[in-house]
Amino acid sequence: MASSALGLFHDPDSALKAAGDLMHAGFARPELLSPIPVHGADEVLGPKKSVIKRFTFFGGIFGALAGFSLAAGTAVLYLHPTGGRPIITIPPFLIITYEMTILFGILATVLGFLISARLPAIRERLYVPEVAVDKFAVTVVCDTQDNFGRAEAILCAAGAEEVRNLNEDGS
Amino acid sequence: MGNEERQMQFADVNDDVVRSLTETGRSYYIALATAIFVMLACFFFPWFYQLYYGIGAAGMNHPTVWGTYLASFVFWIGLSHSGTLLSCVLHITNSEWRKAMYRSAEAMTLFSLMVAATMVMVHVGRPWFIHWALPYPNQMELWPNFRSPLMFDVMAITTYVTGSLIFIYMGSIPDFAAVRDRTTGWRHHLYVLLSLGWRGTDTEWHRLGWAYTFLAVLIIPLAVSVHSIVSWDFAMSLVPGLHQTIFAPYFVVGAIYSGTAGIVTVMYVLRKYMNFEHFITKLHFDNLGKLLLVLSLIWTYINILELFTGWFSGTSTEYEQLKYKLFGFYAPLYWEMILFCAVAPLLLISKKFRTSFVPMLILSIAINIGMYTERFLIIGATLSRQYLPNAWRVYVPSLVEISILVGSLATFITLFLLFVKIFPSVSIYEVKETMETPKSKKGDTEWQAAH
Repeated sequence: MASSALGLFHDPDSALKAAGDLMHAGFARPELLSPIPVHGADEVLGPKKSVIKRFTFFGGIFGALAGFSLAAGTAVLYLHPTGGRPIITIPPFLIITYEMTILFGILATVLGFLISARLPAIRERLYVPEVAVDKFAVTVVCDTQDNFGRAEAILCAAGAEEVRNLNEDGS
Repeated sequence: MGNEERQMQFADVNDDVVRSLTETGRSYYIALATAIFVMLACFFFPWFYQLYYGIGAAGMNHPTVWGTYLASFVFWIGLSHSGTLLSCVLHITNSEWRKAMYRSAEAMTLFSLMVAATMVMVHVGRPWFIHWALPYPNQMELWPNFRSPLMFDVMAITTYVTGSLIFIYMGSIPDFAAVRDRTTGWRHHLYVLLSLGWRGTDTEWHRLGWAYTFLAVLIIPLAVSVHSIVSWDFAMSLVPGLHQTIFAPYFVVGAIYSGTAGIVTVMYVLRKYMNFEHFITKLHFDNLGKLLLVLSLIWTYINILELFTGWFSGTSTEYEQLKYKLFGFYAPLYWEMILFCAVAPLLLISKKFRTSFVPMLILSIAINIGMYTERFLIIGATLSRQYLPNAWRVYVPSLVEISILVGSLATFITLFLLFVKIFPSVSIYEVKETMETPKSKKGDTEWQAAH
């Protein structure tokens, strides 16, 4: 069964150094757990691409279409002629379109965030409560005991205060 | 941040915020019980009375068919404008000082919007037909008229409530996780659910950062549109004094102005009664004071402009309206508004004033009294004096209306008191970001240089 090595660090720089060393030693991409966003993680662990912007964009487009269809569709289906003005009146319907664009843009952004951040977590994942307070952790999957030993050595060399051997189910 | 925060450690922030959630003193319960009692006695009881005896229980009648309920609606929508809007603007501009106060400001937005929505329910008289405002197939062939600013309002406010709720929740997920680890019992279960299994991985932070920024960018124009649309409820009528193109920016500025004053009030209360002295400092009051000063000047400018355009229009109805506003029955209220919102805020020029907590509290309350008066004058006073003299009538709110106004404030306070015990009212992770990050014990940076 695959286990993971988890090194706890006092500061983000040492944790980043450990993560970089592990990547260079041929380990799978390590994960960095921290109480605050760590600047410079992208340079060490490689740049991340986010799909959220696509969600926002297409959500907005969908909302615009839905908003205009709602207002114009209502006007066409339930005729209410007023003073010879057009049935589909663009300026007021653009306001409905605008609001619905933003509403669906927001909802799609949330959906994109949840999907891309893999939340909510259904299964138990590797976690130590210290990382929500003041510690920075680096975790890396080790398929053999030998690899665990190597990972432990790298983590300790980078300044880990403690190295734990955790199973995938968090035990 | 000030020197006092630099001495704090990361763990202290967790301790302080968790303590604010879990340790509850007697004064909190007394405050909550009082707020709930006032809410029931002054909001729900008169509302039920009005439902039972009919909308005649309110003082509204021709020609003043819109009264304090809608003035309160505009006031609460206005108050909602600084929380999420200000938080979004400051987030995008990377303002560090935002971080200690934005959570409570956003909560203010959410609860003001809720109270504003209930004011509409109270105003419509028969709230059990409120679903008629929703587009759904029915045998009455009854669909909402999307050409009406009232329907724009429904759409805009629904979007704004949804956006604000999502924005405050998303920003709180890491904090829910931090609190989850420190609580037991029902609280623990609640935070397990709310935190969605957040672990604080680099990927999660990265995604949160993107999503949060996108939301901020979406919400800024939304907030501006919401109060513009509220202004069109009035400006699209043909009533002299309301039919003005300046109304949209006038309302938006007024909204941000009263909202910022509301934030000052809330910050004072949090600082004093939740022991957040370390987080909410003179710096915050100083910056909010500067913002209030700028907003008061813009607001004053628009008021002068409103008078000028009324005079420049050259029509007798506009003249009459202006004369009535400045010297008529409601003139004392007008001059009170000018005193509280245009003259008194000039004190903010002094840094000493901006960094004094009690004077700032008093001024912020005065500004909001002035801003409520503004909304009352826009609706009540303007409708009292329309075209034909035989249709002129002075409007004075009934006891039911005044009571519901007081009750709406108690409803807001009740919601806020419940909030401070469920949501971490200061953002744990963002306050930590403003603190000094722990440095490597070895001072070792060769790796980064080598790679």
